[in-house]
Amino acid sequence: MHDTVNVEAAGVPMVFVASAEFVDAADAQARALGADPARVFVPHPIQDRTDDELRALADAAIDAIVSAITSQSDN
Amino acid sequence: MSKRLLDPTSERQAGTARERAKRRGALGGKHVALLDISKPRGSVFLDRVEELLRARGADVSRFSKPTFTKPAPVDLRHEITSTCDVVIEALAD
Amino acid sequence: MVPDGLVAVVKRGCPTCELVAPVLAQLHDQLTIYSQDDPTFPDGIGAHDDTALDVSFALDIDTVPTLLRVQDGHVVDRVVGWERAGWEKFTGVDDLGAGLPDWRPGCGSRTHDPDVVDARLVASIMPHLHARLVELGDAEDESEAMYARGWSDGLPLVPPTPARVARMCAGTSRDPSEVVAVVPPDLVECTVEKVAINAVMAGCLPDYLPVVLTALEAACTDAFNMHGLLATTWLSGPLVVVNGPVTRTIGMNSGVNALGQGNRANATIGRALQLVIRNVGGGRPGEVDRATFGNPGKYTFCFAEDEAGSPWESLAVERGLPEGASAVTLFAAEGVRGVVDQLSREPESLARSYAACLRTVAHPKNIFVWDAMLIVSPEHGRVFRDAGWTKSRLRQELDALLQLPADEIVRGAGGIAEGMPEALCQPGTTLPKFRPGGLLITHAGGSAGLFSAIIGGWASGAVGSEPVTREVRT
Repeated sequence: MHDTVNVEAAGVPMVFVASAEFVDAADAQARALGADPARVFVPHPIQDRTDDELRALADAAIDAIVSAITSQSDN
Repeated sequence: MSKRLLDPTSERQAGTARERAKRRGALGGKHVALLDISKPRGSVFLDRVEELLRARGADVSRFSKPTFTKPAPVDLRHEITSTCDVVIEALAD
Repeated sequence: MVPDGLVAVVKRGCPTCELVAPVLAQLHDQLTIYSQDDPTFPDGIGAHDDTALDVSFALDIDTVPTLLRVQDGHVVDRVVGWERAGWEKFTGVDDLGAGLPDWRPGCGSRTHDPDVVDARLVASIMPHLHARLVELGDAEDESEAMYARGWSDGLPLVPPTPARVARMCAGTSRDPSEVVAVVPPDLVECTVEKVAINAVMAGCLPDYLPVVLTALEAACTDAFNMHGLLATTWLSGPLVVVNGPVTRTIGMNSGVNALGQGNRANATIGRALQLVIRNVGGGRPGEVDRATFGNPGKYTFCFAEDEAGSPWESLAVERGLPEGASAVTLFAAEGVRGVVDQLSREPESLARSYAACLRTVAHPKNIFVWDAMLIVSPEHGRVFRDAGWTKSRLRQELDALLQLPADEIVRGAGGIAEGMPEALCQPGTTLPKFRPGGLLITHAGGSAGLFSAIIGGWASGAVGSEPVTREVRT
């Protein structure tokens, strides 16, 4: 999350994508950093998925990802 | 080593949060940086994201962090922020 | 921690310790040696490693070498520096240090190094700090980061690192977790630690903290009504007037430009109070603070009364505190107006100048509700001193002069709609400009200038604010 905070501090919109395992950790990091960076979560697990399954995760997440870097929102 | 300060507020509101960088609308014509955190399998996900972004009219450049265990090096970050309009970092698990 | 028997504390970087190294070797069998900087010293013998200085602090070492006798875990005797006769008597061993001079003074113990003292202070306090730690991004500028989070009053802040806050907390004997006041508007229990964080940001030194703490306590009383003062559309903000010995120990300004810039204590104490109201209490302009104009004093407004040069008792003493006490008085202050009078030689004339100007506080036709502070300068003070007027004599005179004709102040009089209600204004009578206790008189300013100053207050009474005086405790 430091990367996002630093890039955003330079005025460049950023989103980071993580597996659902990261939801709580990301919230805690966000609080500690005093920031609320854009983040998109994909279902866990990642490591043992096939290439097709990973591509399917990308297809499912792409709208949220694009929205996070193109629309002004509180979320 | 990042700096740490003690919070001077009542800590009641979540809202000493910094505002996000301004979003400037549609993807078409934008230069997107895809930053791979270099965990295994992440590149497959990012390859597909790149295809989808190009299909939506964006230019895409790929970058990778040397390791997912640390924040991106300053030079890499500078290269990204000075050449690209928006950034997507993936895939943490 | 330290074994019974003979104990020596030394450091390599001390010529006297080096000198007595052969003596330490002579006594080696019965001696436990601690080294403050290098456990390989003395050469050939070595010592217990006390580079962390825990033993040295525990044994209260001021000088090295120190020779101690420990019995049942307590130090029962000690010898400081090198002195043959003393050491021989202490140890019961003769012929110590053949060839050495008879005596030589020791060196300062590392426990007194300023860096060591500071690091230890910080380390001892930091576990008691409980505020959330805010992590900045690597590329984040500290100054911008604090602005971005809304912590600033518009001016730059000192970053409140844990070490700075720990040092600030050492400025008071109160516990960092002690609740100082319930701060409006959010009614937050504010700890010493939170005040310390804001005091660091304001630029205070640790010695100022007791004054800031007391100012906050006074501001948050029902009587002072900080909430009301914050929320009002009127111009006022909290002014802190400081009395007593603390003004000298922390170097406050009561003289030239006392109400202006340039003195760190004056500048930062007032600012710290306002930052606490903002950051802890949640009181911010545009939110609860709806002041039409505000005034520059809302950045900071704090000065010391000039007591040494005053013809009279201090503000704090007049308000009931004992002579010699340090105190703060909180007053709901507008901006400062000057009163020029370069011609009055007699006190009656000068009092009339004051009265004519005091009449216009808030509005010449408004009475009773509005408070004010008069600051008499040294040159004007001399007029009263030379005539033998006490402060109470001046008050009496002003009260009489500020009896205003009801016919002049009633609404509509003089073609001005503003004024006092008819019901209050019986024709032919007079009414007092100020309520009892509504006019404060202080003494400050540079020694040149036949001017005095008036600071208008705010409304008094149930929905307004009362000045509050409180003794400063360290």
